[in-house]
Amino acid sequence: MTVSRRLEALREAGVDYVAGVPCSYLKTFFAACGALPPASYLPAVREDHAVAACVGAWLGGRRALAVMQNSGIGYCLEVLTSLHLMYGVPLPMLVSDRGAPTDFEEHRILGQRTRQLLDLFGIPWREARPGREKVEARWLVETSEKERRPVVLLVGKGTDV
Amino acid sequence: MTRAEVVALTLSLLSEDDIVVAADGAISREAYRAHDRKRTFYMLGSMGQVASIALGLAMTRLERVVALDGDGNLLMGFGGLAMVGGIKPPNLYHLVLDNGCYATTGGQPALSQKVDLSAAALGAGYPWARRSFSDDHARSALESWLAAPGPAFLDIAVDAEERDQAPRIPMTPEEMVARARAALSGE
Repeated sequence: MTVSRRLEALREAGVDYVAGVPCSYLKTFFAACGALPPASYLPAVREDHAVAACVGAWLGGRRALAVMQNSGIGYCLEVLTSLHLMYGVPLPMLVSDRGAPTDFEEHRILGQRTRQLLDLFGIPWREARPGREKVEARWLVETSEKERRPVVLLVGKGTDV
Repeated sequence: MTRAEVVALTLSLLSEDDIVVAADGAISREAYRAHDRKRTFYMLGSMGQVASIALGLAMTRLERVVALDGDGNLLMGFGGLAMVGGIKPPNLYHLVLDNGCYATTGGQPALSQKVDLSAAALGAGYPWARRSFSDDHARSALESWLAAPGPAFLDIAVDAEERDQAPRIPMTPEEMVARARAALSGE
């Protein structure tokens, strides 16, 4: 069974529902999600459906986490703005940080604008650092609940632990 | 029957504990006007996400979750059908108020006139899915749907013409979500 320190840290911080679409930068994390109870993990078919399901789970009393590649932010924008931001629903998000000049072409255009895009919609973000999983998990959950909005932890190469 | 009449009839068949997700636009406004309840979540935007929100609720709650969806709405988020069919939450009841058009924006025809929505639901994995007309048998169609093994799907044809327009819901989005979440946490 795969162990993800990041998933463990998020569970310790109170996360008890995960919905997401896989990214190869998050292989370890998603492998560990497979061992979650069936009612706690939704393998979503697209990122907008993942974040919408998180609203349902949050209404149901859970601390729901959305996980995706940064390209998925594009699919999510309508839901993040007219559900989470408009209603004031907290949403911790784990988002892969693709798009470096050395990354494949298909990741670059949106990937290199991820931070600007999040800033534009007032979505706080932070870059994950190795060894900081517990601190980052608490920051992610607490900030999203205090500000009642989506908050993003950007997971770059080597921080999917 | 009009969509508003079917919405009202459906709500009258539910129990107090049932959780309702009402689609953005006219369906939410008609649900509010017919029978406002604390366990109804009213969507204002994010078209296409009715089934996904209902799925998040159904996975995390034991009560019955009733999704009041529209045909254009369902088509916009068709992947939500796959998620419900794949996960198969037994407490999810999905109703599509199907007027065959985008009524709110001027009645432009929708592809629901050509796409068999209940066959799609069956294909996605819902154990029970039907199509019905909102004639004299609407009540029994709704009752069969609510008594079926979940997740159950009913595509019910309603009039394209609307008698009137239900007013906007006099609550802020923050109030709507606070009330629904409090009701579900037993407050």
